[in-house]
Amino acid sequence: MNPRSPPARPHIGLHLSRFSSTADWGEDDAWDSTSDSESPRQSTLNSSRNRPTASSTISAPKAVPRNSSSSSSSTLAFSYTHLQAPSSYPPKDSIPQEAPKNGWTIVRTSHSRNTSQSKLESGSIQKGVDLDRYARENGDTDVEGDMILGDLEPEASDLVVDAPNAPPTHTSKAKHNVASIRTDADDIVIDPLNGIKNRERQREPSPVPSKSSNLTNSRPLSENREKNEKLLRERSIRTNRRHKFVDCLSSQDVNIGELRKLAWAGIPGDLRPMAWQLLLGYLPLPTPLRATTLERKRGEYQNMVELAFARGREGLDQQIWHQIEIDVPRTRPGVRLWMHEKTQRSLERILYVWAIRHPASGYVQGINDLVTPFFQVFLSAYIDSDPEEFDTSLLPSHVLSAIEADSFWCLSRLLDGIQDNYIFAQPGIQRSVRRMAELVARIDAPLSSHLESQNVEFMQFAFRWMNCLLMREISVQNTIRMWDTYLAEGPDAFSQFHLYVCSAFLVRWSEKLRTMDFQGIIMFLQSLPTQDWGDHEIEMLLSEAFVLNSIWHNAQSHFNGR
Amino acid sequence: MAEGSNYDYLFKVVLIGDSGVGKSFSKYTQPYQSCCPTAVLSRFTRNEFNLESKSTIGVEFATRSINVDGKTVKAQIWDTAGQERYRAITSAYYRGAVGALLVYDIAKQATYANVTRWLKELRDHADSNIVIMLVGNKSDLKHLRAVPTDEAKAFSAENGLSFIETSALDASNVESAFQTILTDIYRIVSSKSLESSTSNIEPPKASISVGPTVDNNAQQGGKCC
Repeated sequence: MNPRSPPARPHIGLHLSRFSSTADWGEDDAWDSTSDSESPRQSTLNSSRNRPTASSTISAPKAVPRNSSSSSSSTLAFSYTHLQAPSSYPPKDSIPQEAPKNGWTIVRTSHSRNTSQSKLESGSIQKGVDLDRYARENGDTDVEGDMILGDLEPEASDLVVDAPNAPPTHTSKAKHNVASIRTDADDIVIDPLNGIKNRERQREPSPVPSKSSNLTNSRPLSENREKNEKLLRERSIRTNRRHKFVDCLSSQDVNIGELRKLAWAGIPGDLRPMAWQLLLGYLPLPTPLRATTLERKRGEYQNMVELAFARGREGLDQQIWHQIEIDVPRTRPGVRLWMHEKTQRSLERILYVWAIRHPASGYVQGINDLVTPFFQVFLSAYIDSDPEEFDTSLLPSHVLSAIEADSFWCLSRLLDGIQDNYIFAQPGIQRSVRRMAELVARIDAPLSSHLESQNVEFMQFAFRWMNCLLMREISVQNTIRMWDTYLAEGPDAFSQFHLYVCSAFLVRWSEKLRTMDFQGIIMFLQSLPTQDWGDHEIEMLLSEAFVLNSIWHNAQSHFNGR
Repeated sequence: MAEGSNYDYLFKVVLIGDSGVGKSFSKYTQPYQSCCPTAVLSRFTRNEFNLESKSTIGVEFATRSINVDGKTVKAQIWDTAGQERYRAITSAYYRGAVGALLVYDIAKQATYANVTRWLKELRDHADSNIVIMLVGNKSDLKHLRAVPTDEAKAFSAENGLSFIETSALDASNVESAFQTILTDIYRIVSSKSLESSTSNIEPPKASISVGPTVDNNAQQGGKCC
């Protein structure tokens, strides 16, 4: 098998019509998904037909039973992540699993959050991650704690601020105040491209030299020369990629095919808000239409909110409201952003307005989780600090309203593709779980029969995987990276491609699961050890899913039921 | 937390009740504090994967073991989502359950009022001999109490349910809820097996659980959590 790098997906730009039209996505009425439902399916078919490499190299699905995904996944990982030098990743097992002790955990948490967030952000660097990786690899013990913190925090905030001369001394904590709101927030409200352009302007001169010297200082030079060269090389590749991205986003009429191709492999953090909105068909591709469209959509949402809440609390649909009221405080519990009053009120409005406009499903638990990536990503466009630590009451109200409205519309677009997950008896989920079981029986027969012998039913664990799109299994940062690819895949990715991701996800634990009994399996699958997962693990998963999708999506007759 | 791989009895128990009443106390030893931002704020350092106060989606699984008369009684607990939309999924789990903990929130009258609806659910989908225990949760919220203990007690007596008030803040209470219902089930099962078996010899493994169960000895017990 000669798996090809997933990001190169020539077919992806073939369906411009669906996304370039700005006229037809104005009406997101309840059940407009019914009319939509044709096109996603159609587009999948077309796209799979137009996937020459995949279908020609892997032409006989029946003849490729894969007992274990491990061999193919490693091949893939190399071909896919070669740009990111997979060799520098330690085998997962060698990563020390620190016991969560006080102090240390705090350092780790904030550090990993910062790095994973900013990882792709400035295109230039991945230093935090690399350093960390380096430390693990070499079994360095002296890089722990304060040293990592001292080294990374300025870096991370530097990344976010993206001002080359930012003083490298303050911690990110100190910045969660009004000062972290970007001065050009008003311009960004009008068109997200303004924010990107402003940032690009600040970007020169390149901050690279200071960063590399910073790195060298942290450990003996000789040990690091090779490492540094590699880092520089990676960095320049990433910078290149970033340039392409920025060029793509800055063009007068964004080429959606090009954008999808780029987005499949992950979107730099600061470009993500705009890229997501374009990919979802919320933001018009031609620049001149954007300001007016955004204004109109946000106004529309505002009207819906006013209408829905016009008669006070008593005028609300009590059943829906009750459930939302219960769930909002337990959305991302413990994360500062989601504990703030203003954020919670926004979330309530988004959920309620969506629910009453989609009476066949209404609000279903788990949809609250799906709002959070949008909200956090869109918020990140306006601030220079970690969105999860941000107090939304500091935002000017029109900025918060814009974030809220954008989140609403993008959530609506996402849910349009998976609405039958949430209607009575949840047929969409039932179907996906059934197909996943059939697929796993094909790709990992030993696991499948072990699960069966232990009386484990897929519904017992995979229901949640479908209902919350794996958001209960992986972190929000992981989810956000995953959605880059889903959104690049197209509107049906959240139902179709997700099925393959879930299958790859399950098979990933095959070896372990096959040694467990019923209780062990269920408990294990209920709290999977993905806490340390970063982009690398997610990208592995996505590439495995890509291969599965390529092999099986044209072979529907192998699935018994529909 | 090794559960011990051996048990004498295996019972399937479902946890049901309205959304937000704190059903998931079986899974977590941590107190529920989801609706109490300040309490949560003080615990910012915790792992974000700790789902202690996220809503239950579909059905989640937990186990408990207790000792009765020197026998190990193990419970497979299926914790169900409270929202109506999930009913189609969750009611499938009633099948084969020998016990049900029906939970309401003592501070929310509506959750108590719905108890009759939940009893009907059980009548429709569960075994008719299922042992039901009514659980008034969040008993620490004394100042907000909306359901008098006596009323719930009387209701339970009328309907042949056992009754207990628990607080997830006070884990021992939760333990005793499980202790009580499992003991009840054990008594019923062991007396039945005494009646029915001619030889009066207790079967070595009396699993009366249907549906998804560990059919034999768990080969390796506590790999979980």
